[in-house]
Amino acid sequence: MPDDISWFTFNFQDFSFAFLSILFEGVPFLLLGTLMSGLIDQFLPARLMTSLLPRNAYAGAAVSGLLGIVFPMCECGVVPVIRRLIAKGLPASNAIAYMLAAPILNPVVALSTYAAFRGQSPEVMTAFRLALGYGVAVLAGFAVHNLALRTVLKPSILADIAQPRGLDTGRSGGVGFRLAAALQVSVSDFLDMMVYFTMGCAAAALFSTAVNQEIIAPLAVDPWLATASMMGLAAILSLCSTSDAFIAATFVSFPQVSKLAFLVFGPMVDLKLIFIYTSVFRKRFLAGLVIGLFVVIGLICVRLQVIFLVP
Amino acid sequence: MTAALHRLLSSSVLMVWGSVLCWVYFSGKISAYLHPSFRIYTAIAGCVLVLLAFLLMMFPADERADTSGCEGSMVGSLPGHLLATLVLIGPLLLAVMSSPDQFGASTVLNRGYVESVAELPGVVVNVPEPALPGEEATQESASVSEYLARNEKGEIRAEVIDLLYAAQEPSMRPDFEDKSIEIIGQVMPAQSANADGSRFNLVRMFMVCCAADARPAAVTVQPPGEVDFPQMTWVKISGKATFPMVDGRRIPVVEATDVQKTDPPEELFIY
Repeated sequence: MPDDISWFTFNFQDFSFAFLSILFEGVPFLLLGTLMSGLIDQFLPARLMTSLLPRNAYAGAAVSGLLGIVFPMCECGVVPVIRRLIAKGLPASNAIAYMLAAPILNPVVALSTYAAFRGQSPEVMTAFRLALGYGVAVLAGFAVHNLALRTVLKPSILADIAQPRGLDTGRSGGVGFRLAAALQVSVSDFLDMMVYFTMGCAAAALFSTAVNQEIIAPLAVDPWLATASMMGLAAILSLCSTSDAFIAATFVSFPQVSKLAFLVFGPMVDLKLIFIYTSVFRKRFLAGLVIGLFVVIGLICVRLQVIFLVP
Repeated sequence: MTAALHRLLSSSVLMVWGSVLCWVYFSGKISAYLHPSFRIYTAIAGCVLVLLAFLLMMFPADERADTSGCEGSMVGSLPGHLLATLVLIGPLLLAVMSSPDQFGASTVLNRGYVESVAELPGVVVNVPEPALPGEEATQESASVSEYLARNEKGEIRAEVIDLLYAAQEPSMRPDFEDKSIEIIGQVMPAQSANADGSRFNLVRMFMVCCAADARPAAVTVQPPGEVDFPQMTWVKISGKATFPMVDGRRIPVVEATDVQKTDPPEELFIY
């Protein structure tokens, strides 16, 4: 980096420009997720999900991790959906597995990853991304199964589980009544999530415009540093999982495994997601989840380099 | 009374957001923010939000329905709802009022120039098979160059990314090498291949999804004399495309014969 270029240069207009572009890209997906959450609230019987999934908690988490193939959701849209599903009685372990896996293990992401890595072993990268994303999500689900719910979920969500609403309260109503109620739940969820999303977008825009990205370049030479820095970068950039592969593929000087870490960690943890997650999870649990995912994904990726001698 | 106020606040936020999204889309400003494939979703979301705002006002919650969102939700209490309304409307409107339709020089410098096509997202460079004995290696590309768009002076209308491709792909290079070209971009200081300090970089932002991920693709320009444009000025350059080897790497250098300030193109980004 030339001496006359600072590592941090804030320009409010550039910040506004990047902030709006992330908002405009993400809002449609968040809206879709909250519309679905309203419909789930009013039309999905509480025990339907639990009756369809295996009774065994581990098998349930394993199957939930695959649901993204059938119900693909981006990382922004999936949070309001799982918040509502948890309130409907879906075990938190299953919800976490679905929440973490769905933004990765879905057809759109598979295709975009394959396309982005043309010329860089696309089959291997796509297969590893999907497999590692699924494996880590299910592992997180297993871990959550062994925790007390009160340590995982915010008291407000626990209160919702204790007092199920919609179809389960025994109140009756026609389709029109439920649609109106679903609309209002959706709006309430949308506004709630948008507060966190807006703050996350601001943080991501700040880093993407003000921080000189050359500061990470020297990290590419060491696999540990490269992997850690690429995961950190994924969290800062807060990219959509459908398109992040196109960005990751451009880090040509970084080892493949560090790009894999970027592609698996980013859809699970990023700045805007951390804000959104705080609407569902306790802060202490969230900190543990973020650190746990960082360590597990990092270790696996570095280990993969040793096993497969991936350059 | 409180319920009506909640409804009014929610409806106002939805209406503001919906109106902004619709305005950004239908005014064409959306092209500065998003890749073409994402733009339509903004319009749909805007229309849905406006519709939701109307429906929310027209159909108040039935008393039998518990529709307050999750317990403890920020919008559940009136003070929280007021705060959420401020957070959701204030920064949006402030950003809309202050946002330009392109990045300034500091962000371009922070992101670093992309001077090799292999570093551009989603770009694949195919190295062609060597020509067989007796085969005309450049025959195909020579015919391709016939179809390249030209200006009224007969100069090839090139994009920054075309020259980056040509530097990397031997089969494409003859289409541009030593040919007269016209190219548009923004002026930025050259940070490499500029020993005597006379060169500058011509930059176009390459977008994958949204402006936040755009990367500055750059080619080096050797001007005919001293040029003194402020950073990020849009210029139209006429000159000759060359591809010298610098530090073991082939780079595109435009030997300019004319550098003129120009209006920004319709699409500020390249995709």
